[in-house]
Amino acid sequence: MKIISVQNVNKRFGKVHAVCGLSFEVEEGTCFGLLGPNGAGKTTMMKMIYGRSSRTAGDDGAIRAFGYDPARDELAIKYLSGVVSQENNLDDELNVIQNLMIYSKFYGLPASVARERIGVLLEFLELSEKAQARTRELSGGMQRRLVIARALLNNPKLLILDEPTTGLDPQVRHLIWDRLRQLRSQGTTILLTTHYMEEAFQICDTVLIMDKGRRVLEDNPRRLLRENIEAYVLEVPTANGMPAIDETRLPTGVRLDRTDGTLRFYAEQIERLKDVVERLSGEQYYIRQSTLEDVFLKATGRALNERQ
Amino acid sequence: MRDSSPIAYPALSQRLFSVWYRHMRVYTKNLLSNGLPPFLEPLLFLLGVGLGLGKYITETMDGLPYINFLGTGLLVTAAMFTAAYECTFGTFIRLEFEKVYDGMLAAPITVNNLIVGEIIWAGTKGLFFTFAVLCVLMAFGIVELPAGLLTPLVGFLTGMMFATLSLWVTSFVKTINHFNFYLTGIISPMFFFSGVVFPVSNLPSKIRFVAEIVPLTHAVRLSRAVCSSHYTPALLASVAYVIVFTVIFGAMAIQRLRRRLVT
Repeated sequence: MKIISVQNVNKRFGKVHAVCGLSFEVEEGTCFGLLGPNGAGKTTMMKMIYGRSSRTAGDDGAIRAFGYDPARDELAIKYLSGVVSQENNLDDELNVIQNLMIYSKFYGLPASVARERIGVLLEFLELSEKAQARTRELSGGMQRRLVIARALLNNPKLLILDEPTTGLDPQVRHLIWDRLRQLRSQGTTILLTTHYMEEAFQICDTVLIMDKGRRVLEDNPRRLLRENIEAYVLEVPTANGMPAIDETRLPTGVRLDRTDGTLRFYAEQIERLKDVVERLSGEQYYIRQSTLEDVFLKATGRALNERQ
Repeated sequence: MRDSSPIAYPALSQRLFSVWYRHMRVYTKNLLSNGLPPFLEPLLFLLGVGLGLGKYITETMDGLPYINFLGTGLLVTAAMFTAAYECTFGTFIRLEFEKVYDGMLAAPITVNNLIVGEIIWAGTKGLFFTFAVLCVLMAFGIVELPAGLLTPLVGFLTGMMFATLSLWVTSFVKTINHFNFYLTGIISPMFFFSGVVFPVSNLPSKIRFVAEIVPLTHAVRLSRAVCSSHYTPALLASVAYVIVFTVIFGAMAIQRLRRRLVT
């Protein structure tokens, strides 16, 4: 069953075309990731699904979540979904339990049901010890987990997360990934945005790579890697001047990609890259397996984390 | 919304209540610092101006000793000020700084529910602030009982009326400093020229019509009428004014804030 269906959706802010003719579908019980640099239109696309942003009217564009059009039935969609927005927006003055109790009212949960549910969620996100702490006293990672707990109050069938782990330390990030995997295995559908390639790789069944409001690639992350990029990368920083490599005479099966500050050589066999290394004249280099970031670089012709 | 929708999301009353409940819980969290000033302010004002300055004012105003005249006006100005601050600085901070609305609008409520909830909450604060002034007036023995016990209801209406105006103003504001124009340029002058500190009939005839146009004048009339149980047919005009003003500015505020909240 399709939980989300987006067809040929456009969004314009004045002259800026934030989302351009985007289409995708999210199957029940899967995790779908919108991946791309800041300004790619990920958040805008996500907000259109739960009615926080309206799609620009066009001929045949359509959005459905649980079969509902967010322009008409935002309440039904939001009742079935939990949303974790980019910023934490907790009530600083209140403690952890009070923050959650306030939100239980929005779902019409009776107080006794809410209290029980909150206990389970705090346990699930390892916040039980902080139940009485004021939210302003929580670390960034705890605040993030509390926002996720809040989104789970009504047992959502769909969990929407906007950059769930941006700015968090590795431990918290892995904890959140683990919990998201658990939720998915219990049947929760997950839609998330991220600009971390590793996050998409770790938890998404499908990633849609976006750039400038358009779809660049969409597939299972492992398949994306296998089919779209060579297995290994040799990186040579060029900050201290260009290495004296004759680019026209690279070994066969080696592809060169230049971006500001780095030469990247790609090849299926690591030996080919070692051949290139031998031709270097003492420059620093680094050989690694390729990642989704390299896929992105190849597909869009520009580096992800520079200039955004 | 379609009535045929099979999803049992909470009814309108529950949605409005949950917005109100959120604000109530956050406000009452600091009960002492939030709850004491509404009692202290009118106390200081009545001591300083009403008793201190009032001693030199021997004339009655609209048939009332000066301190009674002033006190019955303060009942609703308290509601005006709290609603104006709540729906300018308070709303703007929730909107732009704390991003509270981002969280609330992810829950099953609409923008309309959110704004109407804000207005009802501001009305509730108006009710509480008027009640606080009423307690002070009762301590001074300058309000008729039990008639005066109805004034918090006037405070509720006053709070809602100024909430709609303030929310409408907020919908235009891009930086928080701009509220000074509204609060110093519109709200404060209203305090002085709407029949609170001296009767409107004493204003020069050329500018008297201004007092008739602004909302506080009508709230003050309702408050004095309730305090003295002196109801005249002319009061219906003030009742109608408050209702029409609230509905029109409420609708305009919702329409404009919707554009800001749903991009």
